[in-house]
Amino acid sequence: MDDEGDRPTLRVVAGGVTPQRREEEALVAAFLVGDDEAFGELVRRHEPLVLAIVRRYAQTPEDARDLAQRTFLRAFEAARRSLRRGPRAALPFRRWLVRVAVNLAKNHRRDALRVLRAPLEDAEAEHAGVTEATAAESLLHKERELRLRAAVLLLPRRQREVLTLRLDAELPFAEIADALGITENSAKVSFHHATRALRAAFALEDRP
Amino acid sequence: MTCKDLDLLLPLRAAGALAPDEATHVEAHLARCPTCRAEADADAAVLALAKLPPPTEAERRATAGIANGALAALRRGDRRRRTFQRVAAGIAVAAAALLAVLAPAVLRRTPTIPPAAAVTWQEPDLDTVWEDAGLLDIEVTAAAATTSDETSDESDAEIASIDL
Repeated sequence: MDDEGDRPTLRVVAGGVTPQRREEEALVAAFLVGDDEAFGELVRRHEPLVLAIVRRYAQTPEDARDLAQRTFLRAFEAARRSLRRGPRAALPFRRWLVRVAVNLAKNHRRDALRVLRAPLEDAEAEHAGVTEATAAESLLHKERELRLRAAVLLLPRRQREVLTLRLDAELPFAEIADALGITENSAKVSFHHATRALRAAFALEDRP
Repeated sequence: MTCKDLDLLLPLRAAGALAPDEATHVEAHLARCPTCRAEADADAAVLALAKLPPPTEAERRATAGIANGALAALRRGDRRRRTFQRVAAGIAVAAAALLAVLAPAVLRRTPTIPPAAAVTWQEPDLDTVWEDAGLLDIEVTAAAATTSDETSDESDAEIASIDL
Protein backbone atom coordinates (compact mmCIF):
# COMPACT_ATOMS: atom_id res chain seq x y z
CA MET A 1 0.00 0.00 0.00
CA ASP A 2 1.53 3.25 -1.06
CA ASP A 3 -0.49 5.62 1.04
CA GLU A 4 0.74 5.92 4.59
CA GLY A 5 -2.69 7.15 5.72
CA ASP A 6 -4.32 3.93 4.49
CA ARG A 7 -2.07 1.68 6.51
CA PRO A 8 -4.23 -0.21 9.00
CA THR A 9 -3.48 0.05 12.65
CA LEU A 10 -4.08 -2.60 15.23
CA ARG A 11 -6.81 -2.05 17.75
CA VAL A 12 -5.57 -1.25 21.20
CA VAL A 13 -7.79 -2.38 24.03
CA ALA A 14 -6.88 -1.85 27.65
CA GLY A 15 -6.61 -5.33 29.17
CA GLY A 16 -8.70 -8.43 28.51
CA VAL A 17 -7.48 -9.06 24.95
CA THR A 18 -6.94 -12.74 24.45
CA PRO A 19 -3.87 -13.93 22.55
CA GLN A 20 -6.26 -15.48 20.03
CA ARG A 21 -7.89 -12.12 19.34
CA ARG A 22 -4.53 -10.39 19.10
CA GLU A 23 -3.39 -12.99 16.61
CA GLU A 24 -6.58 -12.52 14.62
CA GLU A 25 -6.12 -8.77 14.47
CA ALA A 26 -2.55 -9.27 13.30
CA LEU A 27 -3.88 -11.53 10.51
CA VAL A 28 -6.45 -8.93 9.45
CA ALA A 29 -3.80 -6.20 9.43
CA ALA A 30 -1.43 -8.44 7.44
CA PHE A 31 -4.11 -9.19 4.88
CA LEU A 32 -5.03 -5.54 4.52
CA VAL A 33 -1.45 -4.77 3.52
CA GLY A 34 -1.53 -7.49 0.87
CA ASP A 35 -0.77 -10.82 2.58
CA ASP A 36 -3.11 -13.35 0.91
CA GLU A 37 -1.93 -16.16 3.17
CA ALA A 38 -3.31 -14.25 6.14
CA PHE A 39 -6.68 -14.08 4.40
CA GLY A 40 -6.70 -17.84 3.80
CA GLU A 41 -5.89 -18.44 7.45
CA LEU A 42 -8.69 -16.13 8.62
CA VAL A 43 -11.24 -17.79 6.35
CA ARG A 44 -10.16 -21.27 7.46
CA ARG A 45 -10.56 -20.25 11.10
CA HIS A 46 -14.02 -18.76 10.73
CA GLU A 47 -15.52 -20.78 7.90
CA PRO A 48 -17.38 -23.25 10.18
CA LEU A 49 -18.90 -20.36 12.17
CA VAL A 50 -20.09 -18.49 9.07
CA LEU A 51 -21.48 -21.62 7.41
CA ALA A 52 -23.30 -22.56 10.62
CA ILE A 53 -25.04 -19.18 10.62
CA VAL A 54 -25.99 -19.00 6.94
CA ARG A 55 -26.92 -22.61 6.12
CA ARG A 56 -30.32 -22.36 7.81
CA TYR A 57 -31.24 -19.73 5.22
CA ALA A 58 -29.63 -21.33 2.16
CA GLN A 59 -31.74 -23.37 -0.23
CA THR A 60 -28.83 -25.38 -1.62
CA PRO A 61 -25.20 -26.07 -0.58
CA GLU A 62 -24.12 -23.69 -3.36
CA ASP A 63 -26.30 -20.96 -1.84
CA ALA A 64 -24.59 -21.56 1.51
CA ARG A 65 -21.17 -21.23 -0.14
CA ASP A 66 -22.16 -17.99 -1.90
CA LEU A 67 -23.59 -16.51 1.27
CA ALA A 68 -20.45 -17.46 3.21
CA GLN A 69 -18.20 -15.89 0.56
CA ARG A 70 -20.23 -12.70 0.54
CA THR A 71 -20.07 -12.63 4.33
CA PHE A 72 -16.26 -12.74 4.27
CA LEU A 73 -16.07 -10.06 1.58
CA ARG A 74 -18.38 -7.65 3.37
CA ALA A 75 -16.76 -8.29 6.74
CA PHE A 76 -13.32 -7.50 5.29
CA GLU A 77 -14.65 -4.33 3.71
CA ALA A 78 -16.23 -3.32 7.01
CA ALA A 79 -13.03 -4.13 8.93
CA ARG A 80 -10.96 -2.14 6.41
CA ARG A 81 -13.23 0.90 6.64
CA SER A 82 -13.36 0.81 10.43
CA LEU A 83 -9.58 0.47 10.72
CA ARG A 84 -9.15 3.55 8.53
CA ARG A 85 -11.33 5.51 10.91
CA GLY A 86 -8.88 4.72 13.69
CA PRO A 87 -8.30 2.11 16.36
CA ARG A 88 -11.26 3.28 18.43
CA ALA A 89 -13.72 2.47 15.64
CA ALA A 90 -12.25 -0.98 15.05
CA LEU A 91 -14.21 -4.07 16.03
CA PRO A 92 -12.88 -7.60 16.31
CA PHE A 93 -13.09 -9.28 12.90
CA ARG A 94 -15.14 -12.17 14.28
CA ARG A 95 -17.81 -9.73 15.44
CA TRP A 96 -18.00 -8.24 11.95
CA LEU A 97 -18.43 -11.72 10.54
CA VAL A 98 -21.33 -12.58 12.84
CA ARG A 99 -23.09 -9.27 12.21
CA VAL A 100 -22.71 -9.48 8.45
CA ALA A 101 -23.74 -13.15 8.30
CA VAL A 102 -26.88 -12.47 10.34
CA ASN A 103 -27.82 -9.53 8.14
CA LEU A 104 -27.20 -11.34 4.87
CA ALA A 105 -29.08 -14.40 6.06
CA LYS A 106 -32.06 -12.24 7.01
CA ASN A 107 -32.55 -11.28 3.35
CA HIS A 108 -32.89 -14.96 2.41
CA ARG A 109 -35.49 -15.78 5.05
CA ARG A 110 -38.46 -15.68 2.69
CA ASP A 111 -36.86 -18.00 0.14
CA ALA A 112 -35.91 -20.45 2.86
CA LEU A 113 -39.48 -20.40 4.19
CA ARG A 114 -40.85 -21.19 0.73
CA VAL A 115 -38.61 -24.24 0.46
CA LEU A 116 -39.58 -25.49 3.93
CA ARG A 117 -43.26 -25.20 3.10
CA ALA A 118 -42.92 -27.29 -0.07
CA PRO A 119 -44.65 -30.70 -0.06
CA LEU A 120 -42.82 -33.54 1.63
CA GLU A 121 -42.47 -35.56 -1.57
CA ASP A 122 -38.69 -35.78 -1.19
CA ALA A 123 -39.01 -37.12 2.32
CA GLU A 124 -41.55 -39.69 1.13
CA ALA A 125 -39.19 -40.84 -1.59
CA GLU A 126 -36.37 -41.13 0.95
CA HIS A 127 -38.32 -43.62 2.97
CA ALA A 128 -39.48 -45.84 0.13
CA GLY A 129 -38.66 -49.49 0.83
CA VAL A 130 -38.70 -49.41 4.64
CA THR A 131 -41.56 -50.95 6.61
CA GLU A 132 -44.79 -49.02 6.63
CA ALA A 133 -44.75 -48.25 10.36
CA THR A 134 -41.14 -47.04 10.31
CA ALA A 135 -41.74 -44.99 7.20
CA ALA A 136 -44.81 -43.35 8.75
CA GLU A 137 -42.90 -42.53 11.91
CA SER A 138 -39.95 -41.12 9.97
CA LEU A 139 -42.27 -39.04 7.85
CA LEU A 140 -44.02 -37.67 10.90
CA HIS A 141 -40.67 -36.76 12.45
CA LYS A 142 -39.49 -35.16 9.22
CA GLU A 143 -42.69 -33.19 8.90
CA ARG A 144 -42.45 -31.89 12.47
CA GLU A 145 -38.80 -31.01 11.94
CA LEU A 146 -39.57 -29.02 8.78
CA ARG A 147 -42.56 -27.28 10.38
CA LEU A 148 -40.43 -26.36 13.36
CA ARG A 149 -37.67 -25.00 11.14
CA ALA A 150 -40.29 -22.88 9.39
CA ALA A 151 -41.53 -21.71 12.80
CA VAL A 152 -37.96 -20.66 13.66
CA LEU A 153 -37.88 -18.47 10.56
CA LEU A 154 -41.20 -16.92 11.54
CA LEU A 155 -40.03 -15.86 14.99
CA PRO A 156 -39.59 -12.12 15.64
CA ARG A 157 -36.22 -10.98 14.35
CA ARG A 158 -34.39 -10.60 17.67
CA GLN A 159 -35.62 -13.95 18.99
CA ARG A 160 -34.71 -15.67 15.73
CA GLU A 161 -31.21 -14.19 15.69
CA VAL A 162 -30.47 -15.13 19.28
CA LEU A 163 -31.93 -18.63 18.90
CA THR A 164 -30.04 -19.47 15.72
CA LEU A 165 -26.75 -17.98 16.92
CA ARG A 166 -27.01 -20.23 19.94
CA LEU A 167 -28.41 -23.38 18.30
CA ASP A 168 -26.58 -23.31 14.97
CA ALA A 169 -23.37 -21.38 15.70
CA GLU A 170 -23.21 -22.43 19.37
CA LEU A 171 -21.98 -19.00 20.40
CA PRO A 172 -21.87 -18.09 24.11
CA PHE A 173 -24.60 -15.64 25.12
CA ALA A 174 -21.98 -13.00 25.89
CA GLU A 175 -20.75 -13.14 22.29
CA ILE A 176 -24.30 -13.20 20.89
CA ALA A 177 -25.11 -10.08 22.92
CA ASP A 178 -21.91 -8.44 21.75
CA ALA A 179 -22.61 -9.14 18.08
CA LEU A 180 -26.22 -7.97 18.25
CA GLY A 181 -25.50 -4.93 20.41
CA ILE A 182 -27.73 -6.00 23.32
CA THR A 183 -27.08 -7.06 26.90
CA GLU A 184 -26.36 -10.66 27.78
CA ASN A 185 -29.46 -10.77 29.95
CA SER A 186 -31.59 -9.48 27.09
CA ALA A 187 -30.16 -12.20 24.82
CA LYS A 188 -31.10 -14.86 27.38
CA VAL A 189 -34.61 -13.48 27.74
CA SER A 190 -35.01 -13.50 23.93
CA PHE A 191 -33.86 -17.10 23.86
CA HIS A 192 -36.42 -17.99 26.53
CA HIS A 193 -39.22 -16.27 24.57
CA ALA A 194 -38.16 -18.00 21.36
CA THR A 195 -38.26 -21.42 23.01
CA ARG A 196 -41.68 -20.74 24.48
CA ALA A 197 -42.96 -19.48 21.10
CA LEU A 198 -41.76 -22.64 19.37
CA ARG A 199 -43.39 -24.80 22.01
CA ALA A 200 -46.64 -22.91 21.64
CA ALA A 201 -46.48 -23.29 17.85
CA PHE A 202 -46.22 -27.04 18.12
CA ALA A 203 -47.87 -27.65 21.44
CA LEU A 204 -45.26 -30.33 22.03
CA GLU A 205 -46.12 -30.53 25.69
CA ASP A 206 -49.54 -31.98 24.77
CA ARG A 207 -48.09 -34.66 22.53
CA PRO A 208 -47.10 -38.08 23.80
CA MET B 1 -34.98 -21.76 43.96
CA THR B 2 -38.67 -21.75 43.01
CA CYS B 3 -40.47 -23.04 39.91
CA LYS B 4 -40.86 -19.41 38.75
CA ASP B 5 -37.11 -18.85 39.04
CA LEU B 6 -36.56 -21.87 36.86
CA ASP B 7 -38.75 -20.62 34.04
CA LEU B 8 -35.99 -18.51 32.47
CA LEU B 9 -33.26 -21.06 33.18
CA LEU B 10 -34.81 -24.18 31.64
CA PRO B 11 -34.34 -23.13 27.98
CA LEU B 12 -30.75 -22.16 28.84
CA ARG B 13 -30.27 -25.59 30.42
CA ALA B 14 -31.61 -27.23 27.24
CA ALA B 15 -29.10 -25.18 25.23
CA GLY B 16 -26.25 -26.13 27.57
CA ALA B 17 -25.71 -22.51 28.57
CA LEU B 18 -26.03 -22.61 32.36
CA ALA B 19 -23.16 -21.48 34.54
CA PRO B 20 -21.90 -24.29 36.84
CA ASP B 21 -23.44 -22.83 40.01
CA GLU B 22 -26.78 -22.25 38.23
CA ALA B 23 -26.73 -25.81 36.92
CA THR B 24 -26.25 -27.17 40.44
CA HIS B 25 -29.32 -25.30 41.75
CA VAL B 26 -31.44 -26.21 38.72
CA GLU B 27 -30.61 -29.91 38.90
CA ALA B 28 -31.38 -29.95 42.64
CA HIS B 29 -34.79 -28.41 41.97
CA LEU B 30 -35.56 -30.74 39.06
CA ALA B 31 -34.76 -33.78 41.20
CA ARG B 32 -37.67 -32.94 43.48
CA CYS B 33 -40.14 -31.20 41.08
CA PRO B 34 -41.87 -33.35 38.41
CA THR B 35 -43.67 -30.32 36.91
CA CYS B 36 -40.40 -28.53 36.19
CA ARG B 37 -38.88 -31.79 34.92
CA ALA B 38 -41.71 -32.05 32.37
CA GLU B 39 -41.10 -28.43 31.37
CA ALA B 40 -37.38 -29.09 31.02
CA ASP B 41 -38.03 -32.15 28.83
CA ALA B 42 -40.41 -30.17 26.59
CA ASP B 43 -37.84 -27.37 26.15
CA ALA B 44 -35.11 -29.89 25.33
CA ALA B 45 -37.38 -31.67 22.81
CA VAL B 46 -38.36 -28.54 20.93
CA LEU B 47 -34.80 -27.20 20.75
CA ALA B 48 -33.44 -30.58 19.61
CA LEU B 49 -36.00 -30.56 16.81
CA ALA B 50 -35.23 -26.93 15.87
CA LYS B 51 -31.50 -27.57 15.64
CA LEU B 52 -30.13 -28.14 12.14
CA PRO B 53 -28.74 -31.58 11.31
CA PRO B 54 -24.97 -31.74 10.73
CA PRO B 55 -23.77 -30.70 7.23
CA THR B 56 -24.20 -33.37 4.57
CA GLU B 57 -21.37 -34.59 2.36
CA ALA B 58 -22.79 -32.51 -0.52
CA GLU B 59 -22.68 -29.39 1.66
CA ARG B 60 -19.11 -30.09 2.69
CA ARG B 61 -18.05 -30.53 -0.93
CA ALA B 62 -19.82 -27.37 -2.09
CA THR B 63 -18.32 -25.23 0.64
CA ALA B 64 -14.77 -26.57 0.36
CA GLY B 65 -13.35 -23.70 -1.73
CA ILE B 66 -14.67 -20.71 0.16
CA ALA B 67 -11.25 -19.23 0.95
CA ASN B 68 -10.06 -19.26 -2.67
CA GLY B 69 -13.40 -18.05 -4.03
CA ALA B 70 -13.64 -15.21 -1.53
CA LEU B 71 -10.03 -14.17 -2.10
CA ALA B 72 -10.50 -14.15 -5.89
CA ALA B 73 -13.68 -12.07 -5.53
CA LEU B 74 -11.95 -9.68 -3.16
CA ARG B 75 -9.04 -9.16 -5.54
CA ARG B 76 -11.47 -8.67 -8.45
CA GLY B 77 -13.22 -6.00 -6.38
CA ASP B 78 -9.89 -4.32 -5.56
CA ARG B 79 -8.86 -4.34 -9.25
CA ARG B 80 -12.25 -2.93 -10.27
CA ARG B 81 -11.96 -0.22 -7.63
CA ARG B 82 -8.41 0.71 -8.75
CA THR B 83 -9.51 0.77 -12.40
CA PHE B 84 -12.45 2.97 -11.53
CA GLN B 85 -10.20 5.31 -9.54
CA ARG B 86 -7.72 5.51 -12.42
CA VAL B 87 -10.47 6.17 -14.96
CA ALA B 88 -12.06 8.79 -12.70
CA ALA B 89 -8.69 10.47 -12.17
CA GLY B 90 -8.02 10.40 -15.96
CA ILE B 91 -11.39 11.94 -16.70
CA ALA B 92 -10.78 14.64 -14.09
CA VAL B 93 -7.36 15.48 -15.56
CA ALA B 94 -8.73 15.53 -19.13
CA ALA B 95 -11.63 17.74 -18.05
CA ALA B 96 -9.26 20.15 -16.30
CA ALA B 97 -6.98 20.30 -19.37
CA LEU B 98 -9.93 20.88 -21.69
CA LEU B 99 -11.20 23.63 -19.45
CA ALA B 100 -7.77 25.30 -19.39
CA VAL B 101 -7.63 25.25 -23.22
CA LEU B 102 -11.20 26.28 -23.93
CA ALA B 103 -11.85 28.76 -21.15
CA PRO B 104 -9.98 31.76 -22.69
CA ALA B 105 -11.63 31.24 -26.08
CA VAL B 106 -15.07 30.87 -24.55
CA LEU B 107 -14.58 33.92 -22.38
CA ARG B 108 -13.37 36.00 -25.36
CA ARG B 109 -16.45 35.17 -27.42
CA THR B 110 -18.90 36.16 -24.77
CA PRO B 111 -20.63 39.43 -25.89
CA THR B 112 -20.22 42.24 -23.41
CA ILE B 113 -21.73 45.74 -23.24
CA PRO B 114 -19.01 48.35 -23.71
CA PRO B 115 -18.78 50.33 -20.50
CA ALA B 116 -18.71 53.59 -22.41
CA ALA B 117 -22.10 52.89 -23.99
CA ALA B 118 -23.63 52.18 -20.63
CA VAL B 119 -22.31 55.40 -19.13
CA THR B 120 -23.32 57.69 -22.02
CA TRP B 121 -26.89 56.46 -22.37
CA GLN B 122 -29.41 59.23 -21.88
CA GLU B 123 -33.13 59.41 -21.70
CA PRO B 124 -34.51 60.06 -25.21
CA ASP B 125 -36.09 63.38 -26.03
CA LEU B 126 -39.88 62.98 -25.68
CA ASP B 127 -40.62 65.48 -28.44
CA THR B 128 -38.63 63.40 -30.87
CA VAL B 129 -40.50 60.30 -29.79
CA TRP B 130 -43.88 62.04 -30.25
CA GLU B 131 -42.79 63.33 -33.61
CA ASP B 132 -41.58 59.92 -34.74
CA ALA B 133 -44.90 58.41 -33.74
CA GLY B 134 -46.87 61.02 -35.80
CA LEU B 135 -48.79 62.21 -32.74
CA LEU B 136 -47.60 65.78 -33.10
CA ASP B 137 -49.09 65.92 -36.62
CA ILE B 138 -52.47 65.08 -35.17
CA GLU B 139 -52.16 67.93 -32.68
CA VAL B 140 -51.05 70.29 -35.35
CA THR B 141 -53.97 69.26 -37.55
CA ALA B 142 -56.39 69.85 -34.67
CA ALA B 143 -54.89 73.25 -34.05
CA ALA B 144 -55.14 74.02 -37.75
CA ALA B 145 -58.82 73.03 -37.72
CA THR B 146 -59.51 75.39 -34.80
CA THR B 147 -57.79 78.25 -36.62
CA SER B 148 -59.74 77.47 -39.76
CA ASP B 149 -63.07 77.65 -37.83
CA GLU B 150 -62.19 81.08 -36.43
CA THR B 151 -61.22 82.25 -39.91
CA SER B 152 -64.48 80.90 -41.25
CA ASP B 153 -66.56 82.87 -38.65
CA GLU B 154 -64.73 86.05 -39.60
CA SER B 155 -65.37 85.40 -43.30
CA ASP B 156 -69.06 84.81 -42.59
CA ALA B 157 -69.25 88.19 -40.79
CA GLU B 158 -67.52 89.85 -43.67
CA ILE B 159 -69.93 88.30 -46.13
CA ALA B 160 -72.91 89.30 -44.02
CA SER B 161 -71.70 92.90 -43.90
CA ILE B 162 -71.62 93.11 -47.62
CA ASP B 163 -74.52 95.02 -48.78
CA LEU B 164 -75.88 93.24 -51.72
